[in-house]
Amino acid sequence: MKRLLDIFLLRVRSLAGRTQVERELDRELSFHLDQLTEENIARGMSPSDARAGAKRSLGGVSQIQESCRDMRRTNHIETLWNDLRYAIRTLGRTPGFTIVIVLTLALSIGANSAIFSVIQGVLLRPLPFAQPDRLVRVYFQSDSQPKFPLNPNDFRDFRERTRTFESLAAMTRHDVQLSGSSADPVMLRGFLVTAGYFGTLGLKPARGRDFTTGDEMAERGRLAILSDRLWRSRFSADPNILGHTITLNTETFTIVGVMPPGAQHPGNTFQAVADGDTVDLWMPFFLYEYPDDRGSHYLDTFGRLKRGATQADASADLSSVLQQLIKEHTGRGWRIYTIPLYQETVGRSKRMLLVLFAAVGLLLLIACVNAANLLLARSSARVREIAVRSALGAARGRIVRQLLTESLVIAVAGAALGTLLAYGGVRVLVSFLPADFPRASAIRLDSTVFAFTLLVAILTGLLFGLVPALTASRTDLQNSLRESGRSTTGSTSQLRLRNLLVIGETGLACVLLIAAGLMLHSFVNLLRADPGFEPQQVLTASLSLPYQRYREVPRRVAFYKQLIANLEALPGVQYAGAGTDLPWTGYDGNADGYKIEGRSDEYNDKTTSRYHVATSDYFRALGIPLVGGRFFDGREDRDGPYVIIVNETMANRYWPGESAVGKRISFRSRPQEKDWMQIIGIVRDVKDEPNSISNHPAFWMPHSQQTERNLFIAMRSSSDPSMLANQFRVAVRQLDPELAVADLRTMNQISSTALSIQRFSLFLVGLFALLALVLATFGMYGVISYSVNQRMHEFGLRMALGARPSDLLRLILGQGLTLSILGTAAGLLCAAALTKVLGSLLYGVGATDPVTFSAVALLALATTTLACYLPARRAADADPMHSLRAE
Amino acid sequence: MSKSSDLIQGTLDLLILNTISLQPQHGWAIAKRIQQVSGDVLQVSQGALYPALHRLEQQGWIKADWRVTESGRDAKYYALTRAGRTQLQKELAQWDRLSNAVGLVIRMGAVQ
Repeated sequence: MKRLLDIFLLRVRSLAGRTQVERELDRELSFHLDQLTEENIARGMSPSDARAGAKRSLGGVSQIQESCRDMRRTNHIETLWNDLRYAIRTLGRTPGFTIVIVLTLALSIGANSAIFSVIQGVLLRPLPFAQPDRLVRVYFQSDSQPKFPLNPNDFRDFRERTRTFESLAAMTRHDVQLSGSSADPVMLRGFLVTAGYFGTLGLKPARGRDFTTGDEMAERGRLAILSDRLWRSRFSADPNILGHTITLNTETFTIVGVMPPGAQHPGNTFQAVADGDTVDLWMPFFLYEYPDDRGSHYLDTFGRLKRGATQADASADLSSVLQQLIKEHTGRGWRIYTIPLYQETVGRSKRMLLVLFAAVGLLLLIACVNAANLLLARSSARVREIAVRSALGAARGRIVRQLLTESLVIAVAGAALGTLLAYGGVRVLVSFLPADFPRASAIRLDSTVFAFTLLVAILTGLLFGLVPALTASRTDLQNSLRESGRSTTGSTSQLRLRNLLVIGETGLACVLLIAAGLMLHSFVNLLRADPGFEPQQVLTASLSLPYQRYREVPRRVAFYKQLIANLEALPGVQYAGAGTDLPWTGYDGNADGYKIEGRSDEYNDKTTSRYHVATSDYFRALGIPLVGGRFFDGREDRDGPYVIIVNETMANRYWPGESAVGKRISFRSRPQEKDWMQIIGIVRDVKDEPNSISNHPAFWMPHSQQTERNLFIAMRSSSDPSMLANQFRVAVRQLDPELAVADLRTMNQISSTALSIQRFSLFLVGLFALLALVLATFGMYGVISYSVNQRMHEFGLRMALGARPSDLLRLILGQGLTLSILGTAAGLLCAAALTKVLGSLLYGVGATDPVTFSAVALLALATTTLACYLPARRAADADPMHSLRAE
Repeated sequence: MSKSSDLIQGTLDLLILNTISLQPQHGWAIAKRIQQVSGDVLQVSQGALYPALHRLEQQGWIKADWRVTESGRDAKYYALTRAGRTQLQKELAQWDRLSNAVGLVIRMGAVQ
């Protein structure tokens, strides 16, 4: 260790105290010389002969000095310094070249850094929980349900019997209305959680205490733990908040804890709330409330594996518990499905991010090829400079090193500028991200991103600098000097290299263009696809009636009935309705294994459907058309006969070839006559999400027969729907001044949000493809323009011998076209092999869609040919006499 | 171009380290001593000696300081560091192995 330190100090001394070291070396050598001289004198030489002899035998003093410097290894650093200064001077002499090359690199390196910072934040950074790799999500699964939440009693049994989990915890969304303080009532995002919820995540309250298993008993009274954000914003960070009571949903809750800042929600699927700092408060889940219910599933469950236990162990363990439960209670065809929390969180966005990363990487590659091409062009202009330097004794390695230093300077300058761009770009990126994009809050430029940028800069510098440097240093000395600056036809090998680079660049650009084209095509398909509803001129909102004041079902029905009637009486409102869901906002209610009249039990075991509640004008307000039967008329009696409306998929799946209207289903296993629900209408399918491949069966029950407290409201307006917002608030306040209005947005906003992932990735890939096309066009222009310049003499001769300008034009355009055809062909082939990775980002278009491929081929050919036109025109317009004389 | 030496690569380091292992010496004396001890067979050129000394110093095996010689002149004296002493042991052992091996091969060749 000490030796390393000494070595380091010696190096520093050699570098910093250079003159001192040099002086010592001089003294050392002169001492040696003196000793030699004295020895010679002792042998009988005259002092002057002795001195001369000594000098002779000592050899070249400066060579010894040079070797000693080499030995001190400081030469490298000095050379580097000289090279750097020289590089900066040389680049400064050609500002146009430097600006173009630095800007193109800055754009592509900046884009890479920005996208990488998203990847780093979303995919690479560990989840914000203790030892996140031990956290696993637990679901039920059946033939019809890939991921199903758990039932509270099942959950409790799993928690008691598991042998692979250190702890299991569950949560379910429970938004609450905070009122009682001076401000207007607000809806808060709340979760009911089991004891050990925070502990499982590795979180602890900053103040107060965590929930205990005792708190899972309803008798303990109602408790709440606040998020740091809520504590600060609503309770002005009151340090004595613990023990205070607040009014939630008109009930009294005692605050027992406050979480620290950054205590994040892990994300859930049932009534999903995006992960991150998205939850306002947590309340204990009363686990013993419904001892006999094994049918309702609404708990999002996760657990912390014991040290050493694997996901497979956990799955096997829970599966065996599930087998016991099925034996103890009459269970159905459920299986256990586990997935690591990390995968569950980032799974949906991973592919899109990797596609973006690949796209931006291709862009960088194109920028590299472009830079290499520019450097090659420049190095042929510097042939003489390099020849002179090698004539003066510069070794080839030395010249390569000098040229590489130049390209590194360019790359680092590009990276520095690119980082600035990325700094701004990341903010724009994040603001464009869909609101529920997983882990969006973790995206920022950090030291890892800077390290990545630096690495990219060095690699790109080497990548685009190496070939030009090697080519340039291979200059034929004699020829270059003899030709004394006359424009040579350029070494053919160099021209071939530049042609190859342009072909490569065009090909890479084509790959990006095709990716962008396919995504554009998909996006247009999505926009054109019939959503099954009419999103224009619809305002939506959500309401949640507090249990305490709306305990009785008739009150709930009356409230919504009155509200809808008041809304429909407003002058601007055509229809108003309420329902448990809005299109494209995610669905949670599922009914499985219901009975269809006249079918076998075996058949009925496999039935599945989305389960909704709606008021009569819900469908008209959203513009969901009726395809058979009729809508609810608002006169459905609470005690039956029960009626439902189904969607086309449900009608066609369970009653193929016959009309579903008039058919009956029931939730009871032994239905009495009054338990049957009769289908009175069939409505058009609405997809779960805009890019869903197939539709799910669905049915709606009238609100008067299946009453909910929490409903979405939809109002169809005759003009701009956002104008209705205030009238809506007033209408709600008139009926219940303590009720909070939440989620006010137009249906257009919802449908736009539903497409945000597609829009976001299309925008970015499109932008990268456009940049790539511009770069490739530059590249083509550069190569053709260069070769035209080189061949002016030849063209002059041809003209003099009778060639017409159009012949020249054709000749040069032909040359360019050959290159772009080769490049485009290569690009199409690569694209055909690569576009499969786009996968779910595509909609209604094959990965090798011929329309997109041919359109991109035409675009690439057209632009690159256009790039050849200017230089070709120049050659054709030139005066042959002038071109000949110029030589 | 100044590194011409009759010595096998690496052997010079060994000779220098060994020469100054008894007491610190300046460059001139090191060269003289190697020449004398080897009976004028090994002549270390200055062009090889000084770069070698600087290299050994940079590697931390020897350290230098300025002292006054017997004749009253300033000279740069080199001495072994602790790491240098270990290095010398290593190189000596290596040399023994190598020369033994070479010797074996040569003798085998002579028998045939």
